[in-house]
Amino acid sequence: MPSAASNDRIKHLFLWPAFLVVLLVTLFPLIYALVVSFQAVRLVPPTPARFVGFDNYAEIIQSARFWGSVQVTAVIVFTSVAFQFVLGFALALALHHNVPGATLYRVTFLLPMFLAPVCVALIARMLFHPVLGPVNDLFTALGFEHVPFLTNSTLAISTLIIVEVWQWTPFVILLMLAGLQGLPSEVFEAARVDNISAWRRFRDLTFPMLLPLSIAVIFIRLIEGFKLIDTVFVLTGGGPGTSTETLTLFAYNEGFKKFNIGMTSALSFLFLIVVIVFGTLYLAAAQRLTKRYR
Amino acid sequence: MTNASSEPHVAFKAISKSFGEQQVIPPLDLEINRGEFIVLVGPSGCGKTTTLRMLAGLETVTSGTIEISGKDITDTRAGARDCAMVFQNYALYPHMSVRDNIGYAMKVHGADQSEIDKRVSEAATLLGLDPYLDRKPKNLSGGQRQRVAIGRALVRKPQVFLFDEPLSNLDAKLRVEMRTEIKLLQKRLGTTAVYVTHDQIEAMTMADRVVVMQAGKIEQVAAPITLYEEPANRFVANFIGSPAMNFFDVAIRDGAVHLGDQKLPLPAETAARVGAREKVIMGLRPEHMNGGDHPAELHVQCQTLEPLGAHTLVLGEVAGTKMVAQVAPRFPAQAGETCTVLADMAHVHFFDPDTELRI
Ligand SMILES: Nc1ncnc2c1ncn2[C@@H]1O[C@H](COP(=O)(O)OP(=O)(O)O)[C@@H](O)[C@H]1O
Ligand SMILES: [Mg+2]
Repeated sequence: MPSAASNDRIKHLFLWPAFLVVLLVTLFPLIYALVVSFQAVRLVPPTPARFVGFDNYAEIIQSARFWGSVQVTAVIVFTSVAFQFVLGFALALALHHNVPGATLYRVTFLLPMFLAPVCVALIARMLFHPVLGPVNDLFTALGFEHVPFLTNSTLAISTLIIVEVWQWTPFVILLMLAGLQGLPSEVFEAARVDNISAWRRFRDLTFPMLLPLSIAVIFIRLIEGFKLIDTVFVLTGGGPGTSTETLTLFAYNEGFKKFNIGMTSALSFLFLIVVIVFGTLYLAAAQRLTKRYR
Repeated sequence: MTNASSEPHVAFKAISKSFGEQQVIPPLDLEINRGEFIVLVGPSGCGKTTTLRMLAGLETVTSGTIEISGKDITDTRAGARDCAMVFQNYALYPHMSVRDNIGYAMKVHGADQSEIDKRVSEAATLLGLDPYLDRKPKNLSGGQRQRVAIGRALVRKPQVFLFDEPLSNLDAKLRVEMRTEIKLLQKRLGTTAVYVTHDQIEAMTMADRVVVMQAGKIEQVAAPITLYEEPANRFVANFIGSPAMNFFDVAIRDGAVHLGDQKLPLPAETAARVGAREKVIMGLRPEHMNGGDHPAELHVQCQTLEPLGAHTLVLGEVAGTKMVAQVAPRFPAQAGETCTVLADMAHVHFFDPDTELRI
């Protein structure tokens, strides 16, 4: 047996490489970006870095485009996550209770999640094409011709929400199904013997027992949703105008179209703050909800 | 509660159950009287739980009918059968307090809050749960959880209690206490109870009548003492009693049992009843080898002695058959030597070697 002391020294050998890698790839860029966010840095045309204090932040906060993108992001994320959760939970319940054909659905329901978001967006662009797309054909058959799915701002946001829901509902299904299958079956059998209706079993047993999982699933989807960029980039490019520009797309446009690096860094930090604020509020609310059941 | 009518409270009529191709319960008939405590006992996998779950409505019936109070409930859904079930792993609602667990079904069915409170506190007092009413199940011990599960069943005042091995997750001491409690409770309430266990001691101590099952088949239905004294066949004889009964291949000639080269005289009436036979199985319980009304000397090749205090077990061989004898604590025997026990021939059982039925 090696002595406790030598064991102690060996542990550094295992700890430090990982720690250094984390330091290098996360912490260092983060600090660097923070520093840059207080400077005026332009790559095109190149200007020397100049310390400007909170000017970048002030400028962003005063820009209507920023608040517009916050609003667009919030609308897309909250609406689509709500639909994803309700739809995903419902489908997971159906699969769990082995509705006819469940085995077929089990596979097909999960497919969208395995596609790269860019592919999904490209597929969606074809589907929603205002002249050639099958969705247009459907609407034409119903008497609405050439609906401008991607060029009318309200419709464009709705389309983005639909694509998000289509792609990420499977994720909710998968996790909720796992949760359902982990629930103790005797508890529900006891309720059945005690003449508790299916609806009350769901409301009083399934839902509260899966509440912690639901909170986690929604949280993951919210955080992921805030980072939404690829589908928007391909489908609408933020248009018409900037009416579907999300926070990440806004940052991308600032950084890689205008090469305004200082501004982009400041935007990233504001983005981080927005996510942290939303996240904290959400978790606080969730905690109050679960406390009722603990 | 007690209904004077002689019709059975619960009746299984030619009930069978298959999972896919595999038949686990061949057609089975069983009648349970009102207020009776029936215990289904048998080795693991013999179909006790399946039988109970068919009665509860949690498992469909492949063929046959089940009646409660003369009414066919074979296709009635579980909730409408007015049974209450207690599960092996308690099956409590994990996010509800003890109070809510016990009162939940009443609340859902729209009972008055005052009525719920009254019955919950009655049940809690009866089961000694008063101090724990506001705790969650995870903060209770196994015995307390099982009490909550029992409380949840009894506040509903069901027609039939169903228990599926409710005590097997508890430690030995608690199990002994709880089995007395459950039995007393059932007698006090007078509710018909069907209780499943694999533990023959639990079955013997709790039941009014015991149903011994093997591979889905009912081997014998009888009062505990009858099972012990008059087992219907070799399986029941072997299953009931601890240590288990010894079985020897013997012949009966001239009113005596011939076991190897030993000869054990039988009481006259037993010899007359069984008659002369060249090949028969003799069953002799370990506790009937310590003298008695009709003792016969039996020489045993003693292999091990197990002194248990109140008595000693002699593990050995007779004519190549392994056997156990339960004798007095200071019985003069040495491991590795031959000793002589006194077999009580008034208590031997004989079984047909082909059908294994009692003779
Ligand atoms: N859902 C099921 N599917 C297939 N076989 C089952 C199922 N439930 C029980 N069985 C089989 O039925 C037999 C009886 O099981 P069970 O009633 O649980 O036995 P016991 O409770 O007496 O231990 C076992 O052989 C078991 O494997
Ligand atoms: Mg069982």
